[in-house]
Amino acid sequence: MNCQQFHEVLPFIIENGGNGEEEGHLRTCPACAELVQDLKYIATQAKLLLPMHDPSPRVWTGIEQSLHHQGLIQEGRTSLLGHITTIPMPAKSWTPLGWAMTVAAMVLFAAVLINYRPHLFPAQSSAQNMSAQPVPLEGEDQRLMSQVSQQAPDVRRAYEDNLREVNSYITDAQQAVDQDPQDAAARGHLLEAHEQKEMLYQMATARSLP
Amino acid sequence: MNKLTLTAGIGMIMALGAANALAGDARSETRMDIAPGGIVNVVNSAGSVNVHAGSGRQVVVTHTTVSSKIEVDKTITPDKGRVEIRTHVLPGQKLSAGEDRVDLDITVPTGIWVTVSTSTAPITVDGFRGDTELSSETGQIIVRNVSTAHVHVRSVTAPVTLANITVGHVEVTSSSGAVQLINVSGPSVKIGTTSGNITYQGDCSGGGAYAFTTHSGAIDVTLPQTASVDLSARSVNGTVVNDFPLQTKSHTSFVTKSGSSFTGTSLSGSSSVELQSFSGRIRVKKQ
Repeated sequence: MNCQQFHEVLPFIIENGGNGEEEGHLRTCPACAELVQDLKYIATQAKLLLPMHDPSPRVWTGIEQSLHHQGLIQEGRTSLLGHITTIPMPAKSWTPLGWAMTVAAMVLFAAVLINYRPHLFPAQSSAQNMSAQPVPLEGEDQRLMSQVSQQAPDVRRAYEDNLREVNSYITDAQQAVDQDPQDAAARGHLLEAHEQKEMLYQMATARSLP
Repeated sequence: MNKLTLTAGIGMIMALGAANALAGDARSETRMDIAPGGIVNVVNSAGSVNVHAGSGRQVVVTHTTVSSKIEVDKTITPDKGRVEIRTHVLPGQKLSAGEDRVDLDITVPTGIWVTVSTSTAPITVDGFRGDTELSSETGQIIVRNVSTAHVHVRSVTAPVTLANITVGHVEVTSSSGAVQLINVSGPSVKIGTTSGNITYQGDCSGGGAYAFTTHSGAIDVTLPQTASVDLSARSVNGTVVNDFPLQTKSHTSFVTKSGSSFTGTSLSGSSSVELQSFSGRIRVKKQ
């Protein structure tokens, strides 16, 4: 008996125990033995779960009386017998002043959002950190990878990973330049990013052995 | 010694030689005269490449192969200005794992330009006085004891180590390989990585321009108190830490922000040191 066959009859083993062949597999297979042990433990513990019961009304009454006695609840909210009394409250309504203040706050908030310009780079997320899933390569990058894989599948992964990282670099640098075209550091990063990508392309297309 | 013993001895020697040839492990040495100012191009995928300085006007190439399916071509132009050393698979041959290994040891005269390109083979250049251009996908690159030369290095994931390079024009472009510089100085030292870390230990001397740029790698610079530098460091999303004594500059080209950038000078500020990172950490400390 192999593990697959054993797993097929596992529910019956948990309920009724195993036959000679199944017991023999348990003695020789530590993985299945541990699994059976864990399942039996779960089945045993599940029987100990008791159904939930709501407490009787006398319990709730006692709690309310105690809270009222300590002054934690106001008189009139509940009667001594535990009945909830509804106290009519005046209906709330917006005054003209309230409406004006709300509109003014919204206009001010919108003005701040539109006109805010950070004088340094904004604290933007790096493109490479925004998604846990690797971004698929497209266009020329994909064609380059297909060429590399024909020659050396083992280094394809290295080029793929580095192309994704350099594409993230280009994206980040381009965003920084777009936000402040006068920033020399941002332009320097963009140039460096493109040089990095150019290097990858040159090395990938000039490999030595076929 | 009788005829039988002699015959047996000769037979044994011949058998050993045949066995060695069949094993494919072959070592060969070639010497080629090269003109002053010439160039040596080396292309070797796997194995190793060692380049070092030699005297005279000859390029000496010693190669060791492990398979007869690999050939090492050594050619020289009629004017002796260019030497080509290339390893390749013989037509129609299929290689199994490790059969493509070729170990090259190359001695090059002073003043010769050397270019080396490998895939996985590590490259070592030691005690050489000439321009070098090295590129490797994954093989480690080591350059040490080089003076008055241009050193260009390119790497995909290969770690790069430069040590004891003086009066150098150094340019390293590494995608994810870490770059380590120890006592590297010269008119221009430019290091760029995408995610590889950059580590520098030295004095940034020579009144040169040092520029370390990375997207997400970390930059660690360790300077002696005697370093005379005009230093600036900026990281967009990463942190910037300065543990090196600097005098505040009266005029700066950008607005510094605590934790993200700083700038200052030490002594007379002879050398310019610019550290730029997008999301990596930058740290400068005293030796």
